[in-house]
Amino acid sequence: MLLLAGPGVLFILVTLLLPLLAIFMFSFWRTASYELYPDWNLDNYHVLFTEAAYRTFLLRSALSAVVTSLLCLLYAWPVAYFIARHGGRYRLLLVLLLAAPFFTGVILRIAALQGIFGPGGLINMALGIFGMPPIAALMYTPLAATIGHVYLFVPFMVTAIYLSLVNFNFDLLETAKINGAGPWRAFVEVTWPLNWIGTAIGLALVFIPCLASAVTPRFLGGPSATSFGMSLGQQFGETGTWALGSAMGVVLFAFSLLVLAVMGFTVNLKRSGFTGMGAR
Amino acid sequence: MPTVKEGTLSRRAVLKRGAATAALGALVLGRPGPYIGNAQAATPTLRLLMWQPYAIKETIAAFEDKFKAKFAPTFFDGNSEAFNKLKVGGTRDFDMVMADGFWPRLYFRQGLTKGLDYGKIPNMSGVFADFHPDKFVLLADEEGKNKVAAPNCWGGYGITINSSMIAKEDVGSIDLLLNSKYAGHFSTNSRFEENIALMGILAATKLGTRDGPRPDGKPFNPYQLTDDELAETKRLLIEQKKLLLTRYQDYDALDRLMRAKSVWAAPEFAESYRKLTVLRKERKIDFDVEHVLKPKEGGLGWVDTWMVSADADSERTELAHAWINLFLEKENYVRVVRSTGYGGVVDVRSLMSEDEIALYFQNRSAEASQLHMFDQPSSPEKWERIWSDVEAS
Repeated sequence: MLLLAGPGVLFILVTLLLPLLAIFMFSFWRTASYELYPDWNLDNYHVLFTEAAYRTFLLRSALSAVVTSLLCLLYAWPVAYFIARHGGRYRLLLVLLLAAPFFTGVILRIAALQGIFGPGGLINMALGIFGMPPIAALMYTPLAATIGHVYLFVPFMVTAIYLSLVNFNFDLLETAKINGAGPWRAFVEVTWPLNWIGTAIGLALVFIPCLASAVTPRFLGGPSATSFGMSLGQQFGETGTWALGSAMGVVLFAFSLLVLAVMGFTVNLKRSGFTGMGAR
Repeated sequence: MPTVKEGTLSRRAVLKRGAATAALGALVLGRPGPYIGNAQAATPTLRLLMWQPYAIKETIAAFEDKFKAKFAPTFFDGNSEAFNKLKVGGTRDFDMVMADGFWPRLYFRQGLTKGLDYGKIPNMSGVFADFHPDKFVLLADEEGKNKVAAPNCWGGYGITINSSMIAKEDVGSIDLLLNSKYAGHFSTNSRFEENIALMGILAATKLGTRDGPRPDGKPFNPYQLTDDELAETKRLLIEQKKLLLTRYQDYDALDRLMRAKSVWAAPEFAESYRKLTVLRKERKIDFDVEHVLKPKEGGLGWVDTWMVSADADSERTELAHAWINLFLEKENYVRVVRSTGYGGVVDVRSLMSEDEIALYFQNRSAEASQLHMFDQPSSPEKWERIWSDVEAS
């Protein structure tokens, strides 16, 4: 048993825990002129919690992650529901099609969006042909970054909800109907709660990467969309302020854990029929 | 049962042959095999930490062919990124590194690089006198004893302008980038160093401190700004941010924005300027472009250089010198400037057209010394805080 678990444990230890531990340690150190000094202190956390700029970055990222998650949710439910209920023998094909964007890299997909939203992009060029002014809200704005996030992350949400719905017994809806429930009430009282775990997983899969996102706001968001992830990336690159960047990483990790914990409390494993943790 | 056609391999045959090959390989590698060991040693690898535009296919092929060596580049973006890599990761992974401005001295001072032997770079004779260590002193250490780097290309961080959209009287000053008349039509790059340093020149000019005595007793250097100058710089950058369309991430993006006439003025390394100038000559764009290399308040400049890592062994040190020498060879160097679009430090006027001579600053090498060379920020931590405040505003 131990032999079987060994490689997995070692892998997690080396690739996940050790880097996390290093980041945690660096967060209490000091950087000066591109050098790390092991002077144990809380200065980096003090800076993060007292300087308005970093709070702004975190709030921006959190807001963007919330909006993106909600938009993905609104989009993903009908799509996943349709595939699960009416996809028939094409269900697998339709789900695989959702993965089609992943055949290319993130940068390429973002570049494609730039080609659509940008000043010389498809939308504004088409408007220009009809003598209409370009849509400024789509060019290098937080809105453009949010659309980019939705585009990038919606397949995760659809897949998570779909995987929940394929195990859902749709006959329950008939029972609800026989007992006088309308379609909306049946959805709210039967379909939604019994598939909440899939929805919660989808929300986590969208929210957390979106919270740490750096590439999308950088390419689409314009000068006022600097995110926590962008600022964090800069600490380890250009500015060489590794200690502050490490503290930012710890804060981001803690924030993500908190969100996961809150979501975890909302899941009733027994009611959802989830058996992955031994619950029956 | 499926049959296997003649000439094709069944899965079983592949497995069998694969196993046999693996076993043979294991036998050969497992014993002290002089043959394989020597073969590897016969192909030395030159590992470079460099800017991507200088990885020119033809030059690399010529080098690999001539010296029977392998060229293994790793790319970086800004000076501080490369410096961090060597400082934190050590110098063992790289034999050569690139930097510009004051950075080569810093690398040398910190023991990350070693001195160059110009005697092994005979093609330095083709380099403009303005880029020899006696005139361009940043190529040697502070005492002038050691040559710390060899020059490569040069340029500035000037302002490229769509002169069909920007009025003539507004051109020539950094103040242009704060002119609300052109709001929404500016773009700057996203690197904190150049943004702060360029605006720092304007801030010091506005405060009247640029030409006065400096706290360090040295001439004005936009990378050594006082707290008052930094505060003014931050104010100006926040003011400027409202006027920006975006911060461009690469030169393709800036080219597109300028070609679409969305951006009318942008500080840049003259890459877009050169591309747009060529396009204008070919009548592919319908507006004129100009590039202000040195605004009236002062400008930023750079001379890209090659350095040899402190840990490069004697064989790789030789190779590094050979690479620099090959790179500076006139016939090769023409390709370098045409490919990168940067100003040339080698005098290749005899191999260029009049237009190219103007485009690649071949007659302007003396101007390099009038620019403020790229340097390490006086306090990266302070500059980071300022940049974060600007980005969060």
